[in-house]
Amino acid sequence: MQSYWFGDLDGTSCQPAPDDLAVLVKRVRDLGDAREAPLPEWDLAVMCGFVNNRAGYLECLRRTAISYSREMLLVAMSTDTSGLLPMVRMVDQIDEAVNLLTERATEWYIAIHPGFHRKSTRVRGTALIDLLRKDAVGPLLSVLEEIDRLTDQRRMLTREIAGCADKVLPNSSALVGGLVAARLAAEAGGIRELAMMPASSLQVLGSRKALFAHLATGSPPPKHGVVFQHGKVHGSRKERRGRVARVLSGKLVIAVRIDYYRKELDPGFIRNATEAIRKAGSAQ
Amino acid sequence: MIWIDGQLVSPGKELVHGERTLQGFRLWDPRRSKLSALYHLGQGIDLEPQHRVLYLGAANGTTVSHVADYVEVVYAVESAPRPFQDLLVVAEGRDNIIPIMADARKPYLYRPLVEEVDLIYQDVAQRDQAAILLSNTGFLNSGGATILMLKARSVDVRRTLSEIAAETETLLKAGGLSIEKTISLSPYYPDHAALIGLLP
Repeated sequence: MQSYWFGDLDGTSCQPAPDDLAVLVKRVRDLGDAREAPLPEWDLAVMCGFVNNRAGYLECLRRTAISYSREMLLVAMSTDTSGLLPMVRMVDQIDEAVNLLTERATEWYIAIHPGFHRKSTRVRGTALIDLLRKDAVGPLLSVLEEIDRLTDQRRMLTREIAGCADKVLPNSSALVGGLVAARLAAEAGGIRELAMMPASSLQVLGSRKALFAHLATGSPPPKHGVVFQHGKVHGSRKERRGRVARVLSGKLVIAVRIDYYRKELDPGFIRNATEAIRKAGSAQ
Repeated sequence: MIWIDGQLVSPGKELVHGERTLQGFRLWDPRRSKLSALYHLGQGIDLEPQHRVLYLGAANGTTVSHVADYVEVVYAVESAPRPFQDLLVVAEGRDNIIPIMADARKPYLYRPLVEEVDLIYQDVAQRDQAAILLSNTGFLNSGGATILMLKARSVDVRRTLSEIAAETETLLKAGGLSIEKTISLSPYYPDHAALIGLLP
């Protein structure tokens, strides 16, 4: 007997499948899993009495394929990291916007207050905005307040991300903090993708430009990408950063795999890993 | 193929979000579609009304919709969830696009749905592009054609387009395809080439 999505063919007799989308989708799935489905031929479906003609065949096939694909889409979406990735990307975008707006607003402020010079103050970021707000008025003031609101928004988002990452990435969050863990997942394109990654790839995630420059022109390879944001990496002496980043990535990739497969916190592992990373940062 | 004043168009009624039209035809922009770029370079395989096409890497469905304007039916395979949602919207507005959410590396998953086709068009930008095409040639009828859009930067950032194209040609020939032509898509798409093959 030969099975097709539209029916079962046995020699010359044919049993058409019921005209029910759920059944048809299941047939497609089963045939696909069996891995040896014959290519469907539309005239067989007509012979079967499943449809009347080619147009009817395509119409029914189309509905079945759409239904099947919607199901696959749901599966793919549910393995996604519960909205973690879009939030990370939003934070990055807000950062960029805040930096640009702050720069512009400072220029504007200088135009009004020629005595003020950026170089004369060591204040940066949000503190700079606070400083400017003290004697800004009118439209400039409202722009500064807008920047301030964006910064608040960012703070709320990062808190949300950290909370969410603590749940879906408990071990990696314990090692590097929720935001960095979420950034890595976003950079890799998902937790599954991150868990499949070799430690050496994870180590340079987020340093795309430097990595491809290295491959293309032979410039020195990047030591770290997103993992640089971990205190132990950017806090250690420059000549030791590469080593810390390497050890950290090694431990981190194990942590992500525990997150992805076991889905629970492993305190013993975290203790050992933290100790190994601390050692890597101290002089031998 | 339909040309109006040197511009490629396709005879579709259903428009895809805010695109331009020309005398009632849909403008097919060579800067947004590698297939259009190929036709603008005077190459490619003419799409015929009776053609059945397997399209791998359908993405948001823009190029798919133009192909569907010309041919009988397009089987559009895409694996990424986000673009697939767009593709679904496009497919729902037409009766000759069969959208399939699947990885083109696993053709056995959509074998139950896809009949024998006359043309396989592949634009997946993956490192194993050639292998992906070869694993799908089982859908092709004899004498059927393949168009592979090769993105050199996806295969190897260190080597030139012509090196990678030559290597891909060898791979495809070893897989039983005869390569008719290899066309660089510059200036529309730098670092891309179209490999046109035939199944003898």
